[in-house]
Amino acid sequence: MADFLQLVFSGAAIGAIYALAALGFTLLWQASGTINFAQGEFVMLPAFAMLFFLKVAGAPLWLAFLLACVVAMLILGYGFKVVVVDPLLKHGVIPLVIATLGLSIGLKSAVKAGYSAEAQPFPAIFPDGLLALGTIRVSYADVGTLLVAGLIVVGLQLFLNRTLTGRAMQAVAQNTESARVLGIDVKQMVLYTFLINAVLASVAALLVTPAYLAKFDMGDSIGLKAFYAAIIGGFNQTRGALLGGVLVGVLENLMGAYVSPAYKEGVALMLFLVVIIFKPEGLLGKAEERKV
Amino acid sequence: MNEKIIEFDRVVAGYSPSLTILNDLTLDARRGEITLLIGPNGAGKSTVLKTLFGLLVPRSGEIRFEGRAIGGRSPRSLLAEGIAFVPQGRNLFGSLSVLHNLELGGITLPRGALAGRIEEVLHRFPRIRERIGNQASTLSGGEQKQLEVGRALLLHPRVLLIDEPSIGLSPKLVQEVMGLLRALADAGTTVVMVEQNVRTALKYANRALVLETGRLALDRPASELLGDPDLNRLFLGGAGSPAAATAH
Repeated sequence: MADFLQLVFSGAAIGAIYALAALGFTLLWQASGTINFAQGEFVMLPAFAMLFFLKVAGAPLWLAFLLACVVAMLILGYGFKVVVVDPLLKHGVIPLVIATLGLSIGLKSAVKAGYSAEAQPFPAIFPDGLLALGTIRVSYADVGTLLVAGLIVVGLQLFLNRTLTGRAMQAVAQNTESARVLGIDVKQMVLYTFLINAVLASVAALLVTPAYLAKFDMGDSIGLKAFYAAIIGGFNQTRGALLGGVLVGVLENLMGAYVSPAYKEGVALMLFLVVIIFKPEGLLGKAEERKV
Repeated sequence: MNEKIIEFDRVVAGYSPSLTILNDLTLDARRGEITLLIGPNGAGKSTVLKTLFGLLVPRSGEIRFEGRAIGGRSPRSLLAEGIAFVPQGRNLFGSLSVLHNLELGGITLPRGALAGRIEEVLHRFPRIRERIGNQASTLSGGEQKQLEVGRALLLHPRVLLIDEPSIGLSPKLVQEVMGLLRALADAGTTVVMVEQNVRTALKYANRALVLETGRLALDRPASELLGDPDLNRLFLGGAGSPAAATAH
């Protein structure tokens, strides 16, 4: 039983990272109808930005993280919205999907050619060692990851639900036309969503890179699993993204331990297929009306 | 005759360059009156409201509010001028509470003024006060419409544009909403309304403007039009058959 609980705990920790990236997927979709298939690379780039500030500028990790957040908000938030999303979204979702797939390839290639194709070590943010929780032993890294991700998610939920700006963002996501009629600055609210997505990606980078190392293709797995997690939980529900992320992380861990590590990577895909077939709106999602 | 507060002067507007809805449309609405826009489907009634509220930019012509050109200005700036819009259909944010919906209606107000304005609206709509903590999606159709109108009134608009307020409401609630609009107009608010429930709306309106293919076909006092035996034909368009007319 202790082994099982340890696997669940460590799975939840990696799932929390998927959830952060999945949360970004759902926020962008709700606010602006954007599907970003470069989300994994949006996690990879802040990792390399942090490395740059650590190595070249000699900044401490906390400062490197803050600077990476600023860079991410400028490039992956504002820049992505203005240069890629705004011009393409008026032509429909498909051109944007193709563009973000291209962006994903382009960003990976740019980092591979411009920085390195090798995995780069990244400093640990939590101490080594194990923490005893009753009969189970969990690593400080897993505890820290869950705590940080949990705090970010709770903070985001508080912002969205307890502030007028957060509620205005929800309003834009629910009914853009009505929000505009009330005088809500729709463009500004959508921009906030892109900035939040950039920060979520930066936090995910901070949490995942010490274990995965910084590599040009480190976003492949995270991006794909975050996408699956968002669909599994419900693409139109932020709570769904959390559930989907944690579910994928936990089931991957259990599958790897009790069935075979060979199947671990396929868990998210299998779960995704089951949900798409039997509950296409996602576990917590709501069916959306389509107007013709 | 009351002074003109809204004027359309040869306005051309539409949803795309190849889809023109308003064709050289000239009309006006007068202060403190309910102006009812009627006409067949596709005549451009809702497009008038959307263009007036800045959701569509006129291709040519001029829209004036109190004599000043306002064509192409954003909804946000028109709200600040005193024009509010209640669009057709359900416009509430269903997952948010009634109070939060009201707060968003006053998002352009100074923070200090918001609580007082919400209290004014709740005083006018006691049923909304009873549901203040509920999710907006749980309100009945009539309550939702009251909340939408109340939300628009938060800004103390001088002009209220309202599109199909009776849709989905029972006859009793339709009378209530119309009575509310009449009371607002009597208190000095100019109301420009699009309504399919023509006979009921005419009882409350001052003037009726009949649109056909994006042009003003008729401008008459509402009471006069109400007694017109050709009302059904006017409502359905000049080419409509009186026998087929089903105006309410």
